[in-house]
Amino acid sequence: MDQKLQLEIYRKIVLSRRLEERVAELIKAGQVGGFMHPGVGQEALQVAAIATLRPDDYLLYAHRGVAYWVARGIPLEKVMCDLACREGGTNRGKGGVMRVAYPKLGVLGESGTLGGCFPIATGAGLSIKVKGEDKVVLCFFGDGTSNRGTFHESLNFCAVRKLPVIFLCENNGWAVSMPTERSTACKDIASRAAGYDIPGVIVDGNDPEAVYDAVATAVKRARSGAGPTLIEAKTYRLWGHWIGDPESYRSREEVEMRWRKDPLPRYEQKLTEAKILTDSLKAQFEAEAKAAIDKACEFMRAQPFPKPETALEDVFAETVS
Amino acid sequence: MRTITYAEAIREGLAEEMRRDKTVILYGEDVANFGGIFRLTAGLRDEFGDERVFDTPISENALVGAGVGAALTGLRPVVELQFADFLFTAADEVVLKAGMWRYGHGGAFTIPLVIRCPSGASGTGPEHGQCPEPFFMHAPGLKIVSPSTPADAKGLLKSAIRDDNPVLFFEHKLLYATKGEVPEGDDHLVPLGKAAIRREGDALTLVAISAMVPKALKAAERLAQDGHNIEVIDPRSLVPFDRGAIIDSVKKTGKIVVAEESYKTLGIGAEIGAMLLEEALEYLDAPLRRVAMPDVPIPTGANLEKFVIPSEEKIYQACRELLR
Repeated sequence: MDQKLQLEIYRKIVLSRRLEERVAELIKAGQVGGFMHPGVGQEALQVAAIATLRPDDYLLYAHRGVAYWVARGIPLEKVMCDLACREGGTNRGKGGVMRVAYPKLGVLGESGTLGGCFPIATGAGLSIKVKGEDKVVLCFFGDGTSNRGTFHESLNFCAVRKLPVIFLCENNGWAVSMPTERSTACKDIASRAAGYDIPGVIVDGNDPEAVYDAVATAVKRARSGAGPTLIEAKTYRLWGHWIGDPESYRSREEVEMRWRKDPLPRYEQKLTEAKILTDSLKAQFEAEAKAAIDKACEFMRAQPFPKPETALEDVFAETVS
Repeated sequence: MRTITYAEAIREGLAEEMRRDKTVILYGEDVANFGGIFRLTAGLRDEFGDERVFDTPISENALVGAGVGAALTGLRPVVELQFADFLFTAADEVVLKAGMWRYGHGGAFTIPLVIRCPSGASGTGPEHGQCPEPFFMHAPGLKIVSPSTPADAKGLLKSAIRDDNPVLFFEHKLLYATKGEVPEGDDHLVPLGKAAIRREGDALTLVAISAMVPKALKAAERLAQDGHNIEVIDPRSLVPFDRGAIIDSVKKTGKIVVAEESYKTLGIGAEIGAMLLEEALEYLDAPLRRVAMPDVPIPTGANLEKFVIPSEEKIYQACRELLR
């Protein structure tokens, strides 16, 4: 991997972490709504996977944190406004932070029900194939979501039609309060690929370069017309399911042990030892992140809330054809 | 004008739209190789190829959800469910995705999706014989049509395919073989949201949906012999709904009967009744009568089914009661 890309991935991981910390502060202070599911600890894999995409590819992100949007380059101002349900975001207060939409970068939005992403991703893959394009669809989901019927229906559908969809499981060990080993009969989510005769790949989700390589291989395969891949990135949810989660379902020791594998300092150390990341660059990224987040928050606070009567808009489109 | 069946009219509408617009695709269970379990789509794969007309696994959630995903990314998919009842199988994708994706994302997307839903009791029992339109009338973001004639089947289908919103297209199975005059060519579009007056009259307004329309017309003929001139209205489209056509008729007749094959509770008649209470109470000089399915699942046996399905006789009797 070239150094420029390594630094770009690192920079976006830092920016995502700091943004999420700020969002948590705002939620705790009651300044924005709280329907946010933090992704701390999973940013490395999210940023690295999205770095494999072209701007015209499609993305269905999951509900775990802000890094997907940072990685895709959606302006932070828009994300903050969606979080606050103000004007100036992407969804006019209709979907909050769970439904950030950015069609010009192929960001197709988010399903509120877990597993709703799979059929939508399948359909985007269908579009690509019917139009004869060489785009791909990257679809994120969690280990718990792999137990939805839509997962199995969609993987099978994509496999039989050879659709260019990459299914990327962020296995963070927990579905809210349910540990994976109690919710899921197989040890590895990736092994489910065998049921659909497609590649099933396991990767260390806390190693961004390994994730990048695995996703890039799947993307190449999809672009060539060879069909879907299932990737399982093993990671850990360092924060609770939501801001304020008492986390009574897991031990302090487990979480502390996992903090020691936090991908952010780990990658920082790797790039520092390789003399790619310097102290001054690091300080620069931190300062830029803070400035960008401050600016986004300031922008958000200056935006009005949508007029109440706009709640009645956007149900149907005016047909133009 | 030439006469063709309701089924042929649907096939013709599909083929014309697929010729006109390369982004229209058609898929579902058994639609390509076999031509559909009701044989409506026979020959379409041969004309349009396997990329645009194809068979799918038995995966209703994926079928409908992929329709939403394909619509979001520039196609105009027509998804066939083998039975309208399977809308419940795919309910998340129908109600929460097709109906709400645009709204939840602040209008960032359009969803030009048609879901074809063969409906109606035909000896097929509780899970293959419903007319479930009202369940989905209750769900925001979905347009709903239920044509009763071959001409409307074609014209409404073509309009539905060109519409930039999700449309549930209900095709009553017992209408497939019925014949009628159908205009040829691309121009035959029936707008969504406009009712048809099937028979003019001033004694009573008889609103009938889908397969109830031919029964209502027969009942109206009998009532004419009794000396009552009945107005028969076919809403054709349930969302959007032509309220004005019904209110105008009631202003003239003062009496209304609604005939539908959906369950009575919170059915189409219930909605029409509520609308009239709000907007036209002063014109009504008799109570509303609903001829609908009792709130029981549809039985399979012929004599049992016959007992619960609204018939010409039941419609006739409901009207007679008000005309006494």
